[in-house]
Amino acid sequence: MINDVQQRVLKAIAEVLERKEEEIRLDASLRDDLDFDSLKQMTLFILLEDEFQRTMPPEDLMGIATVKDIIEFIDRKLQEPAPT
Amino acid sequence: MNRRVVITGAGVVSSIGIGVDEFWRHCLQAKSTVAPIPANWERYAALHSRLWSPLPDIDPEYLGVARTERLQLDPGSVLAHGAAREAFERAGFNIVPDAASSRVFSLAGADPTRIGVYLGTGIGGAYSFLHNHTHHLYQRARATLKDYAETRASAQDRETLDGVLALMAHGPRYHPFVVSMLMPNASSAAVAIKFSITGPNVTYCVACASGTVAVGNAYRAVRDGCVDVAVSGGCEYLNDEHGHIFRGFDVAGTLLRDCADPDAANRPFDEKRSGFLFSQGGAAVLVLEELEHAQRRGATIMAELTGFAETFDAHSMMSLAPGGGQIERMLRAALADAGVGAHEVDYINAHGTGTKNNDETEAEIIDRVFGKSVRVNSTKSLLGHTIGASGAIEILVTALSLRDQTTHICRNLDAPLRDLNFVRAVEQSDLRVGLSQSFAFGGHNAAVVLRRFS
Repeated sequence: MINDVQQRVLKAIAEVLERKEEEIRLDASLRDDLDFDSLKQMTLFILLEDEFQRTMPPEDLMGIATVKDIIEFIDRKLQEPAPT
Repeated sequence: MNRRVVITGAGVVSSIGIGVDEFWRHCLQAKSTVAPIPANWERYAALHSRLWSPLPDIDPEYLGVARTERLQLDPGSVLAHGAAREAFERAGFNIVPDAASSRVFSLAGADPTRIGVYLGTGIGGAYSFLHNHTHHLYQRARATLKDYAETRASAQDRETLDGVLALMAHGPRYHPFVVSMLMPNASSAAVAIKFSITGPNVTYCVACASGTVAVGNAYRAVRDGCVDVAVSGGCEYLNDEHGHIFRGFDVAGTLLRDCADPDAANRPFDEKRSGFLFSQGGAAVLVLEELEHAQRRGATIMAELTGFAETFDAHSMMSLAPGGGQIERMLRAALADAGVGAHEVDYINAHGTGTKNNDETEAEIIDRVFGKSVRVNSTKSLLGHTIGASGAIEILVTALSLRDQTTHICRNLDAPLRDLNFVRAVEQSDLRVGLSQSFAFGGHNAAVVLRRFS
C-alpha cells in the first residue's frame, strides 16, 4: 500500500513542479527544498484529491511539511471509508 | 489606418465535431446530435423541453490541457483551449514549449505584444459557480441530515431522507480556485497564459452575440493597427449537474417544446418551430491577421473580414424589438463598413434560433434589407444554440462557405415561414460576400461581413 501511495504522490508532485520523480526526496521540505508556494500547494492537493478520490480540506493539511508527511497523510486518508 | 484583415487559422469544438475538418464535413452532411436531457434534471423541476445537443466525450489531454490545468479551469475554458490550439496550428504558427514549463507555449517568430485575445462568453464559468455553490449550500446540511438518517430516523423516514439526500448531492470539495474558474474573463486569460500572449486581452459578455461581438472587435483591432494578430471567438459550457442553466432557458419559454420526434424537433425558420435546441456548449477560435503579416509568414488564408457593426435595441431584455429597426441599422452599418451594397451579399448565416419571435423578425428583416435571392441558413439547425460560442462558430461556417463555395442546409426546414432563399441542398455556388449575424438577450445586435479571399 505505502509503495503505491508513495509512487502516486511522487508522480503528482512531479506533475505540479514539472520535474522528474527521481529528483524528489522523501525528506524534502515542500517549501524550502521544492519551492512550493501556497498556490502550488493548493494545486498539489486538488491533484491528490483527484488521484486518490478523497477530500483533503485545508484544515486537515496543517503540519504537512515534507513529502513523507504527505504520503503518511494520504495513507491515513485511505484507511477512512470512501466518501458517499 | 485601414488595414486588410484575414482569417488564417481556426479551431472548433462542437456537438457535431471536434476540429474544423470533422466539424465542416458533418455540417455539409447535415449531422445533428440530439438526445434526451439527463434524467436526473427532471427530479428537480418540471421541465417543458426534453432535448439537448450533448458534446461528445472529450479527453482534455486531446485538447492540449494537462490534468493540473483541467482541475483549475471551468470546462468552458478547456473548450476554448482546444479551439485556440487548433487555430494556431492551422494558422501555421510554430508552437514552441516554454523553457521553464512544458505546459506553456510561445508562438515562434511572432511578437507576443502585437497579439491580442478577444473572446466572448454568455455565462462565463456558470458551471463552476453552480458546482461550488451546491457544495457551499449543502455540504454541512447534508452531513447533518445523513447522520440523523443513519442514527435516529425510523425506517420509513429513512427512505424519505435517503431520497432527499440524493437530491442534495454535491461535488467533493469547495474548490480553492473557484473565483478564477467562474470569472467571465477566465477563458481569455487562460488562453493568453497558455500561449504567452501579452497584447490586449478582452472578454465580451453580450449573451448570444458574444462571439460575433468578440470577432468584430478583434477585426477592428487588427484593421486599426492596435495588434497584428487577434485570437478571437467564443466559448460556452452550459451543462451543470442539476439542469439549472437549462431550466433558466426553459422557464423563459425559449427552448424546444415539441420534443416528440427528437430528430425533427429543431427546425429554425420552419412554420412548426417550437424553440431552440439547448446545446451543452462549444467553442470556436479564429486567428485574424493583418494581410501583409499573414503573407510574409506564408499563411493560408481562409477568408477576409471586411465589415462589422453593432447596435442595441433598448427595448426588452428578452425579445427583439418589433420591426427590427436597430437590426436594420446595424446591418446597413456593417455593409457600409465593408463597402458593399446589400445586393452584393450572396450568403447570410442567420441567427436562426428556432424561436417564434426571432425567426419571424429575422426573416422579415432579411427580406426587407437583402431581398429574396440571398442564400440563408441557420447553423443552429445543426448544433442547437451554444449561446456565447454561437456567433464565432457561425462566422467560421461563413468563412468555410466562402472558401469552399458551398454551405450546409437549413435542417428540418419543411415549411419555411417566409419565401426566402433558404439553403435546401449542398451545392456549388458563387459565394463572394457572406454575412453572419447574432442577436442577444438584453437587446444586442451584431454582424460581421466576410469576403472570399482571392
